[in-house]
Amino acid sequence: MAGKKIKAHPKEEMVQDDRLQAIVLTDSFETRFMPLSNDKPRCLLPLANVPLLEYTLEFLAKAPVKEVYLVCSAHATLISDYIEASKWSFPWSPFKVFTIMSPEARSVGDAMRDLDNKGVIAGDFVLMSGDAVTNLDFDKFWDFHKRMHAKDKDHIVTTCLSKATQFHRTRAFEPASFILDKSDNRCLYYQEIPLPSSRVKTSVEIDPDLLEGVDEFVLRNDLIDCRIDICSPLVPAIFQENFDYQMLRSDFIKGVLSSDLLRKHVYAYITEEYAARVESWQSYDSISQDFIGRWCYPLVLDSNLMPDQTYSYESNHIYKEQGVVLAQSCKIGKCTAIGSRTKIGESALVENCVIGRNCYIGSGAVIRDSHIWDNTVIGNNSVINHSIVASGTKLGTNVVLNDGCIIGFNVVIEDGKELPRGVRVNGTPVKDSEDNAFGLSDEEDEEETPEKDNPEIAFELCGTKGRGYIYEDPLSEDEHDLPIGEEMVSGLSHRLDEVYLSDSSISSVTKSKKKRTMSTNSAYTDREEDPTEFEDEEDFGVEGVATVKRAIENNHDLDTALLELNTLRMSLNVSYHEVRTVTVVALLDRVYHFIATQTLGPKDAANKVFTRWGPMFRREAFDPDEYVDLMNIVMEQVVEQELEKGDLILFSAFNALYDSDILEEEIIYDWWSHVSKDPKFDDIKKLVAKWIEWLKEADEESSGEEEEEEESEEEEEN
Amino acid sequence: MPLPSSAQSSIATANSSDINVTIEHFIARLKRRQIDGPYAMALETLQLLKRFISQARWSHVSELIEQIRQLANRLEKAQPTAFACGNVIRRILAVVREEEEEELRSNSPQATSSSVAEPMISSMFNLLQKPEDKQQKQQQQKQQKQRSTKNRTDFRQVAIQGIKDLIDEITNIDDGIQQIAIDLIHDHEILLTPTPESKTVLKFLLKTRERSNRRFTVLVTEGFPNNTAKAHEFAKKLAQHNIETIVIPDSAVFALMSRVGKVIIGTKAVFINGGSISSTSGVSAVCECAHEFKTPVFAVAGLYKFSPLYPFDVEKFVEFGGSQKVLPQMDPEHRLDTINSITDYVPPENIDIYITNVGGFAPSFIYRIAWDNYKQIDVQLEM
Repeated sequence: MAGKKIKAHPKEEMVQDDRLQAIVLTDSFETRFMPLSNDKPRCLLPLANVPLLEYTLEFLAKAPVKEVYLVCSAHATLISDYIEASKWSFPWSPFKVFTIMSPEARSVGDAMRDLDNKGVIAGDFVLMSGDAVTNLDFDKFWDFHKRMHAKDKDHIVTTCLSKATQFHRTRAFEPASFILDKSDNRCLYYQEIPLPSSRVKTSVEIDPDLLEGVDEFVLRNDLIDCRIDICSPLVPAIFQENFDYQMLRSDFIKGVLSSDLLRKHVYAYITEEYAARVESWQSYDSISQDFIGRWCYPLVLDSNLMPDQTYSYESNHIYKEQGVVLAQSCKIGKCTAIGSRTKIGESALVENCVIGRNCYIGSGAVIRDSHIWDNTVIGNNSVINHSIVASGTKLGTNVVLNDGCIIGFNVVIEDGKELPRGVRVNGTPVKDSEDNAFGLSDEEDEEETPEKDNPEIAFELCGTKGRGYIYEDPLSEDEHDLPIGEEMVSGLSHRLDEVYLSDSSISSVTKSKKKRTMSTNSAYTDREEDPTEFEDEEDFGVEGVATVKRAIENNHDLDTALLELNTLRMSLNVSYHEVRTVTVVALLDRVYHFIATQTLGPKDAANKVFTRWGPMFRREAFDPDEYVDLMNIVMEQVVEQELEKGDLILFSAFNALYDSDILEEEIIYDWWSHVSKDPKFDDIKKLVAKWIEWLKEADEESSGEEEEEEESEEEEEN
Repeated sequence: MPLPSSAQSSIATANSSDINVTIEHFIARLKRRQIDGPYAMALETLQLLKRFISQARWSHVSELIEQIRQLANRLEKAQPTAFACGNVIRRILAVVREEEEEELRSNSPQATSSSVAEPMISSMFNLLQKPEDKQQKQQQQKQQKQRSTKNRTDFRQVAIQGIKDLIDEITNIDDGIQQIAIDLIHDHEILLTPTPESKTVLKFLLKTRERSNRRFTVLVTEGFPNNTAKAHEFAKKLAQHNIETIVIPDSAVFALMSRVGKVIIGTKAVFINGGSISSTSGVSAVCECAHEFKTPVFAVAGLYKFSPLYPFDVEKFVEFGGSQKVLPQMDPEHRLDTINSITDYVPPENIDIYITNVGGFAPSFIYRIAWDNYKQIDVQLEM
């Protein structure tokens, strides 16, 4: 019978095929989805009422993938809980899903090194980010990969690029130009190009050596890089060897292509199928519209991929779930999806929207081009234009949301308020706006501090009975102060582009730091394991101190010193606690050196050393707890090294760190309230106690009196 | 026959013992549109149903029917615009129900005459009489039950035999159609087919060429945007078999229709009003045009494509495909909304005759064929 015949063939194929693995990076190590990604990991944010991660997993379900590893760092538990409850953990799931907690990872490079250490990778694997939406035919991609692999033994990565029209917007997020060998699509060179909106002219520089032996090449910048790669098992190893690789594209691909030593090849598979990544609100919006407009058929909403969905399709791209209640006079325009148990009131107008479940839309409301998530209430006669309203939000009557607003979870906005363009409001104050401050430059600290000190409800926006805190993207102001002003005028999408796409040009290191703040707990668990690796610690202690000392003596710049220290940290696999310890030891040693040679007094010496080298701690500590730990380390080490005038050194060190905004007042108070009561610290704590008292007073008093205080403080010391 | 790798995973789970896993997996594949065409879908559904029935437990046949209905409902929901799943399961349900009625009839001829028929007729006269003894009635029922348990038919066997027969029927469907259709094509006739993806149409044309050695010309419409590649492939295959083949753009149909002798269309589903769904957009326009020119339209369909549903809302039955086939990717700022239906509904008045493996029928007669094979009670599968 034909049915049996059909089934007989693939069995043989299966034997040849190794189990294919897929690595999904759920974290983008970016902050573009703030403030919403503060409460939920971005891969679980709903796009067209389906969590983003589902699109990736659906894509993999069509591929012969047997094992999927989700690499989680921020909100890792939320993701693993989600997976456990989802259909992917049922026995009929086409693959097994494993979540890998990788809290220390702060970039793609870190994640890859972590994977390599864990040894999960057996053969070729698919590497993609957890936010891709695509209807790519995996079989063709896989065939291309295998064909190239057979032809070229140096082939390590096949990357998937989707062709876009000249003016397509999704292309513009991380623009890059690829130089390909025309005959076989071998990637010869990769270079990122600046955003068109930044209006920076750029040139692509090609080393003539790269083009040796190439007959014809094409230079293309019309390709959307959807970050779906098939990699050979060599890739993690290359990351391991080149510990400074952070980004997959700008570091890894570029590095591999331009390296004379590796001589590895990267091929590009160019497809015309739909493939895009949700990497900013802007692309979120356009991909959502594409999805509703059935651009990625057969991946459509009415195939009801989530087990409890009941969407059905009506003409003009209207999708409705069962149990939608529509008033007789309401109007549902084109390209709209409405979740179940949602009620839409009389003469309301909904067009080009995605509306979640359990929503209530009052009569006379007008909603256009917006995304309304589950459980929201929108009062009568409200007007929402091109905005995102997250779950649990209540908008009163006659509220107006202008173009580009992002309303976070559980916000309440009172009747009759009008929100200006592009405002971001969140229901809870964004915690890491505090934390961010530590990692960022001085000006931002100043901007953030008032917000942190009085996390007051933004009354003028949400009303007196409202609830909501304004989220200011600290980076947007720095990066685009002028362009925004310009672009504001020039139309809707452009403007959105500018506002949303704030941090594309910030170095990877800064980006990663912010994410780091969310993984406090896991970082601690790591530390608890440390005693088992005692030997490593010992080595690291000696080596690390020597490294920092060398840096100080030769007066290296901070980056170099950190790079060396990081190398050491990774090779010996020690936690940041140790790194901080060695740095403190080395710095104190330097202070001692100054005192011993009588170049400087203890106070000046400590002040000088800690002002100059203190900023290192910014990249060794990432959240308040770790800073508290840092203070403890300083105190312990001062005692341990038995320095003379320990109290003065400790005070000066802290003061220097405080002045250079590495230590926040909050942290100092926190540390002080938990400080060890051990009598051996009593001596040196005295001066610090005074200092803290002064801090507290200064806090209360106006800033004008500060100088006076300081003088008197100094007199006391002397 | 090389299969896409997606089929591999189905095999992996097909081997596992748990029937639920197999069902869920099948549903997932339906949802992902991984099963191509009604033919493969019908066969896979039957294989699944066979396993399902062979593992099912029931105490009375009505429970079995209920279980099968539930399964059918889930499969139908998974891909509402694919009718093959629902059709074949309804066929099997009809077989089981038929057997059940048969059994009832054979077991209770006396019972019906004594206890049911008599009081019904005489009730008016016996209004004031003492009602029939309840105990006696219960006893009678008990006896009936005992009797029915004694010579209970093996419904599992019946259902599985039904499935086997149906599989045979489906795999041999093209032969049946060809035998009828060969005589319909004349020498030096010009045929037009707007459904190049239909294997039935292809085989039928090739057989006609081989057996009767008639010369005829086939015009193939291009089927933009979804089926262009398939149309070219189709034309190539015909040309290889020495049939004069011309690929024409969809827009040329009206101009050429006056010269066309017959229009032959393949179908994806046939409804009881005689309308059909075909898996290429534009078929409806071609049939409309043929109607205008009084050119006969032949629809070829296997019996398993007959669906007992009525197309009240055509939109619900037509599948809408991706937009990227119509336009290149658009800038969201200047977006055009496109609607690309990948299947098309042809109303009954534009079809002249259906050629099936059980004979040729006018569209107005289709309901009769459907009710021969389906039970009305199973049309609505939802509880």
